[in-house]
Amino acid sequence: MRVRRRPTFAWVGVVPFFLFAIAALGLPVGFLVIGSFQNADGDLTLQNFADLSTGTIPRAFLNSIEISLVTAVGGGFFGFLLAWAVIMGGLPSWIRSAVMTFSGVASNFAGVPLALAFVFTLGNLGLVTKFLFDTFGLSLRQDLGFTLYSKTGIEIVYFYFQFPLMVLIIAPALDGLRREWREASENLGASAFQYWRHVALPILTPSILGTMILLFGNSFGAQATAFQLTGGTIEIATIAIGRQIRGDVLHNPGLGYAMAMGMVVVMSVVITAYTWLQRRSERWLRS
Amino acid sequence: MSGGVQGLGRLGIMASWLKPRPGSEGHRRRRGSLVAWVILIAGVVYFLVPLVATFQFSLRPTPTTLAYTNVLNDPKFSGSLLYSFTVAIITIFASLAIIVPTAFWVRLKVPHLRTAVEFVTLMPFIIPAVILVFGVIRVYSAKPFVFTRTEFGSDALLVATYVVLSFPYMYRAVDTGLAAIDVRSLTEAAQSLGAGWPRIIVRVILPNLRTALLSGAFLTFAIVLGEYTIASFLARNDQFGVYLSLLGQNKAFEPAAVSLISFGLTWLAMIVIALIGRGSRVTVVGAR
Amino acid sequence: MTRSRTLPRLIVGGAILAIVVAACGGGASQAPATAAPTSAATTAATDAPVDPMQALVDAAKAEGTLTTIALPYDWCNYGGVIEGFKAKYGLAVNELDPNAGSGDEIEAIKANKDNPGPQAPDVIDVGLAFGPSAKAEGLIQPYKVATWDSIPDSAKDADGFWYGDYYGVLSFEVNTAVVSNVPKDWADLLKPEYANQVALAGDPLASNQAIQAVFAASLANGGSLDDASKGLEFFKQLNEAGNFVPVIAKPGTIASGETPITIRWTYNALSNRDSSAASGGPAIEVVVPASGRFAGVYVQAISAYAPHPNAAKLWMEYLYSDEGQNLWLSGYCHPIRYENLIATNAVPADALAKLPDVAGAVFPSLDQLNAAKTLITTEWPNVVGAVVK
Repeated sequence: MRVRRRPTFAWVGVVPFFLFAIAALGLPVGFLVIGSFQNADGDLTLQNFADLSTGTIPRAFLNSIEISLVTAVGGGFFGFLLAWAVIMGGLPSWIRSAVMTFSGVASNFAGVPLALAFVFTLGNLGLVTKFLFDTFGLSLRQDLGFTLYSKTGIEIVYFYFQFPLMVLIIAPALDGLRREWREASENLGASAFQYWRHVALPILTPSILGTMILLFGNSFGAQATAFQLTGGTIEIATIAIGRQIRGDVLHNPGLGYAMAMGMVVVMSVVITAYTWLQRRSERWLRS
Repeated sequence: MSGGVQGLGRLGIMASWLKPRPGSEGHRRRRGSLVAWVILIAGVVYFLVPLVATFQFSLRPTPTTLAYTNVLNDPKFSGSLLYSFTVAIITIFASLAIIVPTAFWVRLKVPHLRTAVEFVTLMPFIIPAVILVFGVIRVYSAKPFVFTRTEFGSDALLVATYVVLSFPYMYRAVDTGLAAIDVRSLTEAAQSLGAGWPRIIVRVILPNLRTALLSGAFLTFAIVLGEYTIASFLARNDQFGVYLSLLGQNKAFEPAAVSLISFGLTWLAMIVIALIGRGSRVTVVGAR
Repeated sequence: MTRSRTLPRLIVGGAILAIVVAACGGGASQAPATAAPTSAATTAATDAPVDPMQALVDAAKAEGTLTTIALPYDWCNYGGVIEGFKAKYGLAVNELDPNAGSGDEIEAIKANKDNPGPQAPDVIDVGLAFGPSAKAEGLIQPYKVATWDSIPDSAKDADGFWYGDYYGVLSFEVNTAVVSNVPKDWADLLKPEYANQVALAGDPLASNQAIQAVFAASLANGGSLDDASKGLEFFKQLNEAGNFVPVIAKPGTIASGETPITIRWTYNALSNRDSSAASGGPAIEVVVPASGRFAGVYVQAISAYAPHPNAAKLWMEYLYSDEGQNLWLSGYCHPIRYENLIATNAVPADALAKLPDVAGAVFPSLDQLNAAKTLITTEWPNVVGAVVK
């Protein structure tokens, strides 16, 4: 009997999503794409993209990628630990609600208020700075070589919204770890480490990776926090874009749009890497 | 031995979706472990100290609570809060309505489109808000759309843009939630009982996604309440974020009071959302 | 096997709430689009039998509202200016983002070309360099106010497209609770006692105030209006000495002591001094440096696509009237018609006494500004960024 192959129209199911995305995101962003090919007079040019390799722009992108990687991995790691602690660590259940709702707020606590909060904490006259100096005679700057106004400082501040984001997104995955699996593995004589290595982590890895990519994007697109903290002295891609499009001094919107396109490219590369990692982790799941 | 554990894991997947989900108390067999407490305390310290520092700073004026009274006595405070609450709730529902079916469909039927969908949902991170809002204005203020000419149209544009902003978080939360349940088996079981797609999504999938939906709702809510740039350029001056930044303009202590008040109010609102979300006890169809 | 009905209830309730709020909030639809925006200049010198000013007032009132952008209340007392305008003419003022930069204002005009809604700014207040560029891009329309002739020629466009509005001088805002020995001049800032204390109020590549500070430092460091490189050297020394704090200085950071010495326009510094005193914050002293007094001008313009062109013109008339100029003066700004106001005794003596002494301040020309901008924006990351990790 011949097998008839019916054309599948399964993709129709995602049409509403793509339609909305085109209407609310694609069309408005179309101006960005067109604008990146235009110069100040409105003529088409590739100069903006050529300019991407000049000045401090490459350094800005490298810094952004570095900070985003650190806060994605670090944020993912400690965020996961925190989620584990409140969901599976045997703590009272009200702590879980408190941490979840707090995470909801903290995940969006960013920009100038967050930067100032850390200035008040770890700045030159900050609460913790003074405490360390008065109690232990330890100067953050002299003895530990630490200043808040550095890439490290930015990363420490970024964790404030990265940890909660990880906690919130990974929570359903941790909830999905069935109690029975832990019991079954213990019945088979597995230690906690073996349980995690062979059962829990393989199941969780796709979700962890997916959330880390979210953290990366979140950090990559952040601007106001780092800007307030370092006044633009640390070159970051989003700050560089803001200078061209928003500021009082430079005004080369075409270059700004080209840089935004550059960020899209970086994000695409990261998504590709993540997809590849996903497939490998699925192999780990099966192994 | 490892094969046995995983094989059991898979059996567990097959067996346990039939049982009603116990909710959050499923892991309380062990006493609170020391490691968990240490991690929690470290987290609490990290998160609370900057807030305490901000609070301390906000109490420096004379009289001590001046910054707070200035903020809370402002007549437009409650009006803008209500406006933003409403926009946030609408955004959450609209976002869920788009994302949940899409994430479900991608997982179930069109996994090869997954990367494309993920790419689209991650784009709002990369597009600066100011570019997005100016693009929205350009497209939707010109004929034939002319949405910006009415208050309702501008409000609708605001909600639509916020839905876009919520995509990364909502999609990731829902997708993680779907990964934790066995979508295929649940769907097949429901279909074998005669349910159509809408019923499957609303009555079978959604109840199993409670944690994920709450996470997504929290994140969207926080975004909407704090958002400033898009609301400002769309002339939505009733938006709480816009209102707050106007209050704190060029003043020393008010911004600190404002950020703490906003933090506290948003947290309260989330506790309410969490309670509502917890309110409905649902049993999964087909549990016999 | 009961099914809770909470979710459907929530959906219906949310939808009803949404419709109710939208109906309440959407009561006032857009202001009636009267005449299509004309770009014909209405000078005050027409020989019409009707008083042209009154005709303008009537036309503006018919439009009913004015949309402004980037006008913080504490900047040159714009709060007082807006209230005064509303009180005098009964117009509503729709204020867009007060924190917008000049680039935002230009982008807002461009994005709203077809939009008569409240998102389109009618008038803009931008850095001096943006006046000519906006004119070149066709984004602004010309208008000469009644007092046009009393505006200095160097501060306006001959065709009336843009015109200077006020100026201030860069000064040091010092939190005296933290800094007991107040610096008097630029050179003082390099002293070791001010370690980690000197800050700018912005990013020199994004903020007019900040980049002019670098330009101003040049004057005090052996440079001139044609050579801003000495300013870069000054900040390099400042940074290497460990005196420079990269945080963007705000009233909050000044009050907390993190940026106790901030380089800002006199009007911002003085207005902050007053509000700090009023709220029991630290005592602030504002020092206009002994050398290197550098004045910065901002300019006004009307959008070529303004949905309310007559309201915009009326706004300009108000700003450049004695009343408007004096309101700016009470915000510690030097209004552009300052010389003229002094000559006609139009300034109240007590207001005059409060103004800072800015004798000897120099005004860079547009060309000098552009040259300095090119130099500073290219070199700043290498000069300062290299030391800050």
